Amino acid sequence: MNSLLVSISRVAENQWHAVENDLVVGRGHASRRLDGRTFLSIDTWDDSVFDRLATAMLTDHGEPVYTVVDEGDRALTSGWERAGFTTWRREREYVVPTGPASAPIPAGVVITAAEEEPLRELDRALRAEIDWPTMPAEVLPWQGGSVPLDPSKYTVAKLHGQYVGLLRLATYTRQPRIGLIAVLASRQHQGIGRALLGQVLGDLHHAGTGSVAAEVNETNTAAIALFQGFQARHTNTNLELVHGKA
Amino acid sequence: MPRKAGAIELDGVVVESLRNAVFRVELTNGHQVLAHISGKIRKNYIKIIPEDRVLVELSPYDLTRGRIIFRYRN
Repeated sequence: MNSLLVSISRVAENQWHAVENDLVVGRGHASRRLDGRTFLSIDTWDDSVFDRLATAMLTDHGEPVYTVVDEGDRALTSGWERAGFTTWRREREYVVPTGPASAPIPAGVVITAAEEEPLRELDRALRAEIDWPTMPAEVLPWQGGSVPLDPSKYTVAKLHGQYVGLLRLATYTRQPRIGLIAVLASRQHQGIGRALLGQVLGDLHHAGTGSVAAEVNETNTAAIALFQGFQARHTNTNLELVHGKA
Repeated sequence: MPRKAGAIELDGVVVESLRNAVFRVELTNGHQVLAHISGKIRKNYIKIIPEDRVLVELSPYDLTRGRIIFRYRN
């Protein structure tokens, strides 16, 4: 391919095409996440086309912009690095085997299904004290508007009638995925997170599910230790790359 | 409207997750290809696991390689 014969054009507000001889040989796409951040993607079979698409997209877009790559995908990662992107955060993927509930539940704690009002209250309290930029992408704060909370996805830990911890489980794919485990700072280091995870893994095991996926920010050593305590297997690492962020 | 190059798209089933973000996919024509995930899918945090039914766009340069551009709801 002669990249000089390739023309790059913005064909929609969020789409770019690389065209050679009336054939689309590369596509770029931008999407704005609910947390307000813009993520870019490029699909092409040619590095030079990738570079030209990246240049065009960065020229057209305000900064900062983000993208997600698999750490093992060196070709794609190198492409973004050539465009000036650097690693912003690393997120490990784990597969956690389910099994009969075995983690002890601390005295006074009840693990139960969530109800919306107290769940929303706990969510607000957690958001006030957690470093949310390190949280999984799907639970990052929304930019404006109210945060959608689906109680059916949550299991909570109650202590003396008050919600003190939660676990979010998405079950829409064949392999359920744990999106978040969080416990109020004042109630951490008491085995509540472990009890939540153990209970959910036990329930899944009972329902016939063999394993569950989970993602953990690599700086969150407490969460990594928690999952490893349940024989979680590290399967992959995703890199979130950023361009134009000081 | 320009046509899409390499627009050979076939359905398949993911049979194996390999290293380096590559999957072995068995196409409906019986052939197996090595495919990675499209940037658009990855950007949307769509996870691909063995037994997923997917749509693969084959490389115009190497028909044994492809890109997963859609995951069907099983």
